[in-house]
Amino acid sequence: MTQLNIPDSEYMYSGHVGCPGCGAAIAMKFALKALGEKTIMVIPACCWGVIAGPYPQSSLKVPILQTAFATAGAAASGLKAALDMKGDTETTVVAWAGDGGTFDIGIQALSGAVERNEDFIYVCYDNEAYMNTGVQRSSATPFGARTTTTPGKGWKKNRKKNMVEILAAHRIPYAATANIAFPEDLIQKFVKARQMKGGTRFLHVFASCPTGWRIPSEMSVKIARLAVQSNIFPLYEVKDGIDYTLNYKGDRPVMDYLKIQGRFKHLNHKDIEQIQSMVDEDWKLLLRKMNHNQRG
Amino acid sequence: MWESMTTEQNFAEKIPLFISRSNMSTELNKTGSWRFVRPIYDEKTAPCSAACPAGEDIARIEMLSSQGRYREALETILLENPFPAICGRVCFHTCETACNRSGLDEPIAIHGIERFIGDAAVRDNLTFSLERLPDNGKKICIVGAGPSGLAAAYFSTRLGYSCDVFEAGAEPGGILRWGIPRYRLPDAVVNAEVQRIKNLGVKIICNTRATQNFLEEAKDRYHAFFIGCGHGRSLKMNIPGENMALDGLDFLNRMRTEKTESLNNGTAAVIGGGNTAIDVARSLVRLGVKAILAYRRRKQDMPAFQYEVETAVKEGVKVMELFSPSSIAQDGGEYILTLQPMKPSGMETDTGRARVVPDGETTQELRVQRIFTAIGAEPSEPWQLPSKENAETVYLSHCAFMANNPPFLFGGDLTNPTKSVADAIASGKQSAIVLDTFFKKGMNAIADRLNSCLVGNGPALSMERYLDGKRSNRNPDMVSYENINVDYFSPAPRIKAESHALDKQVNPFDEIETTFTIRQVMEETRRCFNCGICNACDNCRIFCPEIAVDLQDAQRRINLDYCKGCGICVVECPRNAMALEEEV
Repeated sequence: MTQLNIPDSEYMYSGHVGCPGCGAAIAMKFALKALGEKTIMVIPACCWGVIAGPYPQSSLKVPILQTAFATAGAAASGLKAALDMKGDTETTVVAWAGDGGTFDIGIQALSGAVERNEDFIYVCYDNEAYMNTGVQRSSATPFGARTTTTPGKGWKKNRKKNMVEILAAHRIPYAATANIAFPEDLIQKFVKARQMKGGTRFLHVFASCPTGWRIPSEMSVKIARLAVQSNIFPLYEVKDGIDYTLNYKGDRPVMDYLKIQGRFKHLNHKDIEQIQSMVDEDWKLLLRKMNHNQRG
Repeated sequence: MWESMTTEQNFAEKIPLFISRSNMSTELNKTGSWRFVRPIYDEKTAPCSAACPAGEDIARIEMLSSQGRYREALETILLENPFPAICGRVCFHTCETACNRSGLDEPIAIHGIERFIGDAAVRDNLTFSLERLPDNGKKICIVGAGPSGLAAAYFSTRLGYSCDVFEAGAEPGGILRWGIPRYRLPDAVVNAEVQRIKNLGVKIICNTRATQNFLEEAKDRYHAFFIGCGHGRSLKMNIPGENMALDGLDFLNRMRTEKTESLNNGTAAVIGGGNTAIDVARSLVRLGVKAILAYRRRKQDMPAFQYEVETAVKEGVKVMELFSPSSIAQDGGEYILTLQPMKPSGMETDTGRARVVPDGETTQELRVQRIFTAIGAEPSEPWQLPSKENAETVYLSHCAFMANNPPFLFGGDLTNPTKSVADAIASGKQSAIVLDTFFKKGMNAIADRLNSCLVGNGPALSMERYLDGKRSNRNPDMVSYENINVDYFSPAPRIKAESHALDKQVNPFDEIETTFTIRQVMEETRRCFNCGICNACDNCRIFCPEIAVDLQDAQRRINLDYCKGCGICVVECPRNAMALEEEV
């Protein structure tokens, strides 16, 4: 058995109000182990806006700037500028936003900041819908999922937006995906991002949500792992928008991932086949990019 | 410092912070109140340990070995089995058949690890500490220094008894010494592990054949007796010319004691299908004789361990299945063995072997230079078995107990349904527990006490459990392959010890299989799931979203003030060493 090698230091407090089995809480726990004490978090409206604690409590041992939904990219840019003014080159600014605040509401501020290549890490912890407001679909919600705004037969018929590709298209120094079920890989990527100062680093972290996905809380990590094992959420890195590195090759059918989640329970055999072919298509496209590193 | 600041920085310093700032942590919220199920550390029973007649704590032994803690691994073995170097070689390892790893690829080579630990203990003279109760002043007379007698002495001594072992042979070891050929079990290994028993203070008196008179006399000097004489006399076939056949057991015995017998080439027939028959055939091959094994049932019905049969065939032993001997005749200097072909006719329900009946009238003749019989054995004296008339005799899984004054125990091959070294050890252990319970709490307490020492659902017994060691807390529930989180394991081939080819051996009776190297042990033990026991992998703490798993003095503890009972720790435990319990 491979023993996981995870730093012991802890920058999160117990007593936060994340749901039992919250993948986003696990994501933060791991991320801070890599980022360390000299970190400022910028958190727009999202689950973590709640988990971080109601005033005057905080669930983190690092400072947090809570900000408006659409502004993570802008607020992080400003915070970095303020640190520059103070001559603080050591502290890492990290924008920590959900998929709603990244894929939908925050994309303008994010794209603006990224186009300027602002010196911060932007993390999207992706639980694939607006969870803390009651599971409304976002553009990160996958094809086939039921949410409260795509209920019954109206389950989501649109594909999930490919955010890493959008960020890579900005030609930022580093964009990567990570997953809470692969803590060593995740921590390594955060360390890499922390050390790559001078431009925007984007991390797309897959964070399961027992409440919104209608899965048993104890299966939270297991299902996140299945997303990678079935290639529906591949682990990869893009350097400078050009050089692709694949970190894991999955070999399980997407069925294994879908069938244990309440949000996909209504899908029939044909729907699942359709999703499988979408996954295969995306996977092939990704492999093509791996093989065509333009700096070869 | 102030002087070095720019105007901009000076300006920034002066801006007051019009923003609310948190000043306390969320630790104020005792989120444990949300919980309706609670994770617990709940170590369970690995199937290997329940399948081991000696009840060794195998999952733990493999874990300690994988961490390089060989001394502790040795101590863990010695709690349940005094003979790791012997069992690592000759045990038929039911543990490996039960191994959950088969679900992923191949079982762990448990015997190889055990042999490594056993050999390391002897080679490096590893010191170990073994729990031992104070001397209770009671003396036990043990008849037969075979594996069951020696085990009875070993376990009883640890329970505070003093033991004298009487052995008819010139050296202790019983079947280990005279029944198992050197190429499977070298003398040095037997000597070293018997020495371990002697070091405990057990007196072994050799060249003393116990008789009924001897036992009568000894009743004044001893508080209890253990009879483990084994099967000394070979069974008869009752066919014409039988007296011309040589006794297989006797042959094996001579092979051990009188160096090498000169048998010049030629062919020999061996009648039987048990381990003795295989040992005789393989010994013959080593003497340059062509060996033909005639067995009345099918090859798969042989009581011999399958691996032994396969190795024998590889070494050139010819197996004739479904042939029953009908007569032996002499012709010149040779013998003619007449064989009756047999055919299967239904199955025996109790043994699972095929029942056979003669197949036609045509017999087959085998012309050979020698014929050996090895069709089984029986006790050489009737008193070696529990008396049939005594209605008080209690028959247990591995021994029979007569609560006379003084009490008598019968064990080893005499009472065991499976005749193996590991079962003989089980017999010695069960006897020690039965006797100790009888003396301390009386006859009626025995059944309950034995039940409390079971490994899983038994029948294997644990001395560690009897002595209320840590293993007493182990949940008897058995871990199955489905309980393992295989995401944490990737397929890896089972490590095989190097074997010497028979024709390359300097001395054909030298040991064939080698002991694992330390690197092989590291690799192989890392494959082990460590079913049901915590190996401190830390997954429970790593994945906890609530930071509610504390680690103190290498002990993990759930902080129930904050644990919301999500259960991730239980699912991410690769080896089912945790459980979820409903809150009450």
